[in-house]
Amino acid sequence: MRNRLEEIRKERGIKQEELAAALEVSRQTIGSLENGRYNPSILLAFKIARYFGMKIEDIFIYEEEQG
Amino acid sequence: MRTIKGSVPAAAGILLFAVGIYLVKGLDRPDGVLRALPYVCVGLGCGLFGQGAGELLNALILRKHPEQAKNLEIERRDERNVMLSERAKAKGFDAMTYIFAALLLAFALMGVSFEVILPFVIAYLLVQFYAVYCRIKQEKEY
Repeated sequence: MRNRLEEIRKERGIKQEELAAALEVSRQTIGSLENGRYNPSILLAFKIARYFGMKIEDIFIYEEEQG
Repeated sequence: MRTIKGSVPAAAGILLFAVGIYLVKGLDRPDGVLRALPYVCVGLGCGLFGQGAGELLNALILRKHPEQAKNLEIERRDERNVMLSERAKAKGFDAMTYIFAALLLAFALMGVSFEVILPFVIAYLLVQFYAVYCRIKQEKEY
């Protein structure tokens, strides 16, 4: 799964720390999400989408695994 | 609440330690269980005191710094941290399963007495059955 979290966060001029505090997760979680190393739970995905006022699928993009 | 959680084991630890020291000094030529009991009390008392005092200090410090307390709580409940910790525990459990089995087999081949091996085998099987029980329970829950 790919996501546009970093792009959207930077567009809005929000720091990782601020986003982490708003979502009540650690800053490392935000970093891992942005790097694509970690996929969030559906609850966190909803919280992120709600925070940015967007739909989940506008932030998280499902991609078929290759091979 | 956290101060209570810390002070009870700390107080119990001091008490156990004192009882242990009293028994070490007071018992003249102890026999049977009483030979080990004072030292068990001292050891257990020190452990309990250490754990309780740590918890107590932690609670007192965090009371003065609510912002840090909130951050710590976030770190503790963070879903990625929880997942990593659960995954690490699972890997540790998998390793323990093989290591303990190999150790038990080695003990058996070395001819270690049955009274020593049997409790270990029972404990090993209990842990494995508990893992299976947890799995079945969670299958029903989720």
